[in-house]
Amino acid sequence: MNALVDPLSYREQSPAVRARFEALKERPVVLSVENLYKTFPCGSGVVTALKDVSFQVYRREFMCVIGPSGCGKSTLIRILAGLEDSSSGQVLLDGKPVSGPGPDRGMVFQSYTLFPWLTVKQNVMFGPRMAGKGSSAEPEARQWIDLVGLSRFENSYPHQLSGGMKQRVAIARALANRPRILLMDEPFGALDAQTRSQMQSYLLQIWRNLDITILFITHDLDEAAYLSDRILVLKANPGEVDEMIEVPVPRPRTPSQFVTPEFIATKYRIDQLIHPEAAHETDSIPFPRMTVAGDDVE
Amino acid sequence: MSPDSIREKRLREPWFAARRDLSPRRASLLTLLSFTLPLLIWSAVSYLPFLWHPDMELQISADRENVTTVYVAGDRMSREFFPEFQEAVRQQNQPLKATLESFDPAAEVPNGAALRRANKKTLRHLAPILTSNHWITEEQAKDDAAIYAAWGEIASGRKIPERPRLSDENLAIVARNWAAMSKVSPAYDSGRFISVPLLALVPQGRPANPDYLPAPHEVVVSGIKEFTAPPEAERPSMWQRVGHSIRIVFGGFLLAALVGVAIGVLCGTYPVFSKLVEPFTDFFRYMPAPTFSTLLVAIFLANDAPKIALVFVGTIFQLVLVVANTTRRLELPLLEAAQTLGANQAQLLTRVVIPGVLPNLYDDLRILLGWAWTWLVIAELVGVKSGLTEFIETQGRWRNFDSVYPVIILIGLIGFFTDQILSALSRVLFPWTARASCKPNLLTRALVFLPRFFQKDSSARALSDTSAECKIEKA
Repeated sequence: MNALVDPLSYREQSPAVRARFEALKERPVVLSVENLYKTFPCGSGVVTALKDVSFQVYRREFMCVIGPSGCGKSTLIRILAGLEDSSSGQVLLDGKPVSGPGPDRGMVFQSYTLFPWLTVKQNVMFGPRMAGKGSSAEPEARQWIDLVGLSRFENSYPHQLSGGMKQRVAIARALANRPRILLMDEPFGALDAQTRSQMQSYLLQIWRNLDITILFITHDLDEAAYLSDRILVLKANPGEVDEMIEVPVPRPRTPSQFVTPEFIATKYRIDQLIHPEAAHETDSIPFPRMTVAGDDVE
Repeated sequence: MSPDSIREKRLREPWFAARRDLSPRRASLLTLLSFTLPLLIWSAVSYLPFLWHPDMELQISADRENVTTVYVAGDRMSREFFPEFQEAVRQQNQPLKATLESFDPAAEVPNGAALRRANKKTLRHLAPILTSNHWITEEQAKDDAAIYAAWGEIASGRKIPERPRLSDENLAIVARNWAAMSKVSPAYDSGRFISVPLLALVPQGRPANPDYLPAPHEVVVSGIKEFTAPPEAERPSMWQRVGHSIRIVFGGFLLAALVGVAIGVLCGTYPVFSKLVEPFTDFFRYMPAPTFSTLLVAIFLANDAPKIALVFVGTIFQLVLVVANTTRRLELPLLEAAQTLGANQAQLLTRVVIPGVLPNLYDDLRILLGWAWTWLVIAELVGVKSGLTEFIETQGRWRNFDSVYPVIILIGLIGFFTDQILSALSRVLFPWTARASCKPNLLTRALVFLPRFFQKDSSARALSDTSAECKIEKA
C-alpha cells in the first residue's frame, strides 16, 4: 500500500491551490475558537471531552471536522451553537464572544428537526418570524426554498417529504436567518449513500452561490475530502486537535475528482490519523474456520 | 401466471400471520364480527333453550299450605327446585279430589267464608294464562267473573289455550274443578261460590335465564318504552337524564382539562414546575376520588356542583401527569433547533412546545374523557341521586334489568361515538400528522368532505391532497 501512495503527498499543492489558500487566510476570521476545554463529571472523576481546542474559520471557508467516535466533535459543534457551555476557553464570532444559542449561527442537525406542524414555507419563515418579521419574510422564504429546489413542496408538511428533502428544507431554514456561519452536525448521516452524494453536490452548489461560512461535522472520509477547504482532524480521549489538513484538491469539485491522487492522498492521511493501527489489526484476529455445507475443514 | 392461479394464491393467504396486515375485506369483516359476535352470543344464550337457562319462569303458580314463600306467575326459580314445587302442589291436591267429587252443593260447609276466599285465589291462578292468550286484558286479571267464565270455556273445550298451552294435568284439574263449580253456579256469583276446597293448578313454567340477563328483544322493547315515555311530575324523561349526565361528565372534564393542560404543559416544559407540582400530584392521585364525596358535598352543597367536582377531582391529577409526560416526549432537538433559529424562552413555549404537543395532547384528552365517564356513576350518587345513575339504581333495585341495560348500552354508545368523532376530527385539526394522511375511515371522510362541499377552501383541500402527495414523496 505504501508503494502506491506517498503518505505525505497530500501536502503538495498545485500553484493554483496554494494561491487559493493564501487568499483564504487573508480573509477576515469569522469564527475563532480559543483554548476550548470541556469536561463532564463521570462517577467520581471527570471525563475530558475537549482539551485545548483552538482553530479559526475564515469567511466563506468550508471546514469539516472529523475524528474517531468519542473525539467530541458533536460536543464541539454544540458548544459553538451555544447549546452547551464550555468548561473554559472561548468562542468568538466576528471577534465577539458568544454565549447561548442565537440566529447568527445557523445549525443543521443530524436528526430531522423540521417542525412537523408547519409547512415547508412556514418552517423556512420560522427564524424571521421569531425576529418579528411577519409576512414580509414570505417572498424571501420562497427564494430560499427555490434555492434548495423544493418550490413544488412549499405547502407540504414535513412528513410528506423524504429524508433528503427534509434536510434541504433544514438548510434553507437555517440560511433564511442569514447566519454568519452555518454549523452542520453530520446532516447527511441518516441518508442513504445515493441521496447523500446528491446532497453533497447540492450543498457545494449552495455554498458557491452564497457568501456563507460552513463548519461541517462528519465521520465520512469521502465527504470530508470532497467538501472541505480545510479538515480539522480531532483525536479521541481526550478530544484534541490532531492536524489541520489543507485539502489540495482544486475547486470547483466534482465527483470525478474522487480518483485523483490529491483526493486519495488526503483520504489516506485522514485514515491514518483516525485509525492509526486498527486498519491492519483485523488480519491478526484469529477467526474460526467454518464451511458452508458443514463439511469437515480438515 | 394465469388469473386462476392468482386467485388461488390469494385464497392461501393465512389468517394468522404475526404483525401482517389483513386484506381490507377481511379487516372490515372482522370489525363487523367484533360487534355482531357478542350480539350473537347474547341472542344464542337468550333464545336457544338448551343453552344455559338455569331457571324456570313461572307461567302458572300455586300457593302451598303452611309455606310463607309466595311465587306468582313471572317469578323465576331454579330448575332443580321447580319439580319439587310441582310435586308439593300435587300432594296437596291428592286428598282433595275425593271430597270435590262427592260434595253436595246444598250442604253447609263449616268455615265456608275462608274456604271461598282460598278458592277465589285458586281461580285467579289461571289469569296469567288467560292474559297471555289475550282472552282477557291486563286490567281484567282480577275480574273474577271473566276468569270464572274462562274456566268454564276451557273445561267444556270451547277454548283451548295455545300460548302457552295448559298441560294435560292442568286441563284435567280445570275440568274437575269446573264440574264441581258449575254445580253451585254456572256463572260467577260472589254469594253463591263453591266452598269445598278446589284443586290447585299444578305450577307450569318455561326454561329461562336469570332476570339479570334479559333477552335482546326485551331490552330493546323496554328501551324504546323508557326513552319515548313523556316526563312525569318529579320524574325527568330519559333524554333529560341523558342531558344531565352529559353535563356532569363534560362539565367536570372540561374544567379539569382547562386547569390540567395548563399545569401539565408547564410541568413538561419547565423542570421547576415539574419538581414542584408532580410529586404531590403523584401522591394525591392514589387517593380515590369517591372518598372525597362527602367532603365535596360539604363544600359545594347539593345539586350538580359536588358531582362536577368529583369528576374534576377524579380526572385532573391523572391529566396533569399524563400531559406533563406527553409534553416531555416532544423531541428535544426541535427545541434546540428553534433556539438556534432565534426563539426566546417565551417563543419556545408558544411557538414550539404547544403546537408540537397538541396532537398528542388531543389524544390524551380523548383517553381521559373515557376516564371521566367512569366517574359519572359515582358522581351521580353523590348528594341527591340524579341522571341516568338514579334511574339505573331504582330500576336495579326493582330488578327491572331489562330497563337497566338500555341505559348502560346508551352510555357506552355515547362514549364510543364521542371518541370516534373526536378521533376523526383530529385528522381535520392536525393535518400535519402522518396519521392524517393515511386511509381515513368512513366517519373521517364524512367530516373532511362535508366542509369541502360547502366551501372550496384550500385548507380543506390540502388534507385530501395528502394521499396524492404521499406518492411523490420520493421525488
